[in-house]
Formats: sequence, C-alpha cells, structure tokens
Amino acid sequence: MEKSFENALAELEQIVKELESGTVELDEAINKYTEAMQLAKFCSEKLNNATQKVNEILTENNELKEFDAEKEG
Amino acid sequence: MEESKYLKISEINNYIKSLLDRDSFLNKIYLKGEVSNFKNHTTGHLYFTLKDDSSRINAVMFASNAAKLTFTPEDGMNVLVEGRISAYPAQGSYQIYIEKMEVDGLGNLYIEYEKLKKKLASEGLFNKEYKKPIPKYPEKIGVVTASTGAAVRDIMSTIKRRFPICQAILFPSLVQGKDAAPNIVEQIKKADEFGVDTIIVGRGGGSIEDLWAFNEEIVARAIFECQTPIISAVGHEIDWTIADFVADLRAPTPTGAAEMAVPTILDLNTLLDNYRIRLNKNIKSMINTKFITLRNLRHSFVLKNPMTIYEVKLQKFSNLIENLNNTMDKTIISKKIVYDKIMASPILKNPYSLFDKKKNKYELLVNTLKLVNPLNILEKGYSLVKVDDKLVKSSKDIKLKDKVNVKLHEGEFEAVVSKIKE
Repeated sequence: MEKSFENALAELEQIVKELESGTVELDEAINKYTEAMQLAKFCSEKLNNATQKVNEILTENNELKEFDAEKEG
Repeated sequence: MEESKYLKISEINNYIKSLLDRDSFLNKIYLKGEVSNFKNHTTGHLYFTLKDDSSRINAVMFASNAAKLTFTPEDGMNVLVEGRISAYPAQGSYQIYIEKMEVDGLGNLYIEYEKLKKKLASEGLFNKEYKKPIPKYPEKIGVVTASTGAAVRDIMSTIKRRFPICQAILFPSLVQGKDAAPNIVEQIKKADEFGVDTIIVGRGGGSIEDLWAFNEEIVARAIFECQTPIISAVGHEIDWTIADFVADLRAPTPTGAAEMAVPTILDLNTLLDNYRIRLNKNIKSMINTKFITLRNLRHSFVLKNPMTIYEVKLQKFSNLIENLNNTMDKTIISKKIVYDKIMASPILKNPYSLFDKKKNKYELLVNTLKLVNPLNILEKGYSLVKVDDKLVKSSKDIKLKDKVNVKLHEGEFEAVVSKIKE
C-alpha cells in the first residue's frame, strides 16, 4: 500500500528532529538525510502534482455523481 | 302594544358593550391561539381570527400596537396575546383588541432545548473524553447539508481551494422542517458507513426555528454514535445548538468548518520547505564539523613527525633496560650477604658441638625424671590404692564393700573395704 501523506509527513518531521538532536552518527545521518529528502519529495508531489479531486454528491439512488457547488448553488 | 319596550339593535349592542367594558377581568386578558384569516389592512390595522381546536374569537390589532411587533403574523402561527375583550356594536360581535402579541413556541422551544441539553449532558454525551481528534490531512470529507444554498457552496469551495487533494462528498439532506432531523440522521449514518476521514454536518444561519433540527435528540445521538469525527457547522455564531455540544469540534460557520477540516496546501509547502532547509543545514554543519576534526588530526604533531613516536618508545625501552640491570645487581649483592652469614655460623664450623649439647640436656632430664617418679616412693614401703582406676586420696572416695586395687613396690593385690573411718 502506498504511504499516506500524513505518515510521510510525520516520518519526515521525526527525522528532522532526530538529526537536530545531534545524537546520530555521520553515516547514519547521511542515510537519514537521503530518506528525509525522499519523503519531502513524496509529500510535495502528493500535494502539488496530484490531480485535483472532484467533489461528488451521493444521489438518491446511492450513486456518486460529480458535484459542482458553484453551478448547483 | 307598547312600542317603548322594544329596543333598537344599537341600544342592546351598546348595552352589551358597556357590560363587557365594565368587567375588569375582560379588561386585561391573556389568550393563546392560532392565527387564521389574517388580513393586513392598508390602514395598518390587523384583522384576524384566533382559534383553538373547538372555538374561535375575532381579533383586532390597531396600527399603533401592530407597529411594535417584532414579527409578521401569518395564518397557522401560534401566538400569545394580551388585550381586552369588547363588543363591536355595528356587527353585533365581540372581539379581542390586542395590545401585545408574540410568537408562542419560542418559549417552549427554549424549555425543550434546556431540558434536552441537561439530559444529554448528564448522560455524558458532551464529555471531552468522547471527542475524537480531527484528522490533520484528510483525503475524503463527508458533508451532510442541503445540496443548494450558501452553506454547501462555502464548504465545498473552501475545501477545494485550501486542500485540493482532498475529495469532498456531499450527502444531501434536508436541514429545515419536520423531516430534516430524521434525514440528517440517515445521511450521517450513510457518510459514516461510506468511509470518510471527517464529516461536516451543518447549514447556513437562520432563526431558531430554522435551526431546530440540530436541537433534536435523534440528531444529537446520531452524531454521538458516529465512528467518524464530526465537525458541526450550524451557521449561528453565538448560539450553540445541541449538535454543536455533541460534535467532536464546533465551527461557527460552514466556511469555518471547512477551514478546520483541512490544512492549506500553501502552509504545507512552507512546512516542507522549512524541513528541507533544516535538513540541509544540519547535514552541512555535521559534515563540516567532521571535516574540521579530520584536518586537525592530519595536522597533528605525530602525523607530521612520525619518528617522534619511535623516539619516545626507544627512550622508554632503554630506561627499562637500565632499571632491570640495577635491580638485578642489587638482588645479587643482598643474596651474597645472606649466604656469607650462613657460611660463617658455628654450627657449620663444628657440627658435633650441637650433638654434645643435646646429650647433656638429655641426661639431665633422665635424672630429674628419676627423682619425681612416684614408683620410687613405693620402694620405701608406701602403696597406691585405686578404685575404678582412680587414686584413693580420702576415705570419702570409697564406700563399704568397694573392691580396691593396691599397688606395692613389687606386685599388687585386690582388697574389699570392710570398715571406713572418717
């Protein structure tokens, strides 16, 4: 399963804090840094490149249909 | 026929009017009933009928009083009125002349509201421990509200603008009228079963009657039982509905609810940039520190003059050798002194002298022994008396008939005690 945005962001935050604590060895720090940069990239892509989600309405027949609040309203 | 006993209609109507006007009870009377046949006359006077299930009374409200009304009466509305009852002689009817009028029910609604609020509070439905946290980065949001109007527009467009990667799904519901409450309940359940991260339940602002569905017990219980976190958004900034108390989070307006439900993409991008900057800064400073340490080591004295390591060791080695030699010399000398002392001792020079000494000592001891040997005394005629191998020293040591052993200088014999003297 693909990582959720929330989990990725939480992991990223965790690594930043860990590195800032200064308790990590250099080799490990470089690994963590690489991982964190990948997480940041993943989050950015999820945020900015993902197609905008279409808002939907659940009809009386329990079917989902595109819903445009601007038109309907 | 006496014409004088017959009254004119106006006379009797005026008489009846005077009777009514004299009655202090009817002069200030409070009535409640339902408005019907409402007519708003061009003069500003209001004419209508007040009725209940079985009876009706005509009502008038003059323009001067009607101007003070805070609402527009209409047919079917329940009202509370204050006024006086009098007759209208021209019509031969009596009616109420209303001075004050207010909508009935508001008061009742408040009582109901307070009662339900107390009941649900005592059951713990508003307790903090039941409040579920609202997901920070939802991917799907269920919206339970009317499919038209400002509320749905505000919610949907706010979500789209702030966090476009989140999908909003509308579960359309009535939000006003007597069917609203069961409909809201049904749609909350649907959204809960559908599987969304957060549910927004609400409507735009309105009068207390308009919002009433959100004060209904079934709606409160549906919100409480819903597994998905719920943000309430009943468009009333100041007054809290029961739904607001039960919801996991209360928003003052529909737009506010959408803002609470999703973060903004802009804030998140800023946060990500901030993380990147911190990461870079951190790793750079870490590498830099290590680099400086490495350079310091390279420039250290030892690495620059490797021979110094050898020189120090050599020095230490020769010191050790010297110490060793010194110690060995000292040990040999002290052992030699001890050896010489031993070799010079008289015993080694004349070993027999020790033997003679020991022999003299032995002869001396034998003579002494002879002197103290108790058996020598027996030679002089004394004897030893024993009972059970114990020497008898007193007549108390023996009893009559005891067998005693008597040892003489030569030989021994046994005797029996025949008499004891103290």
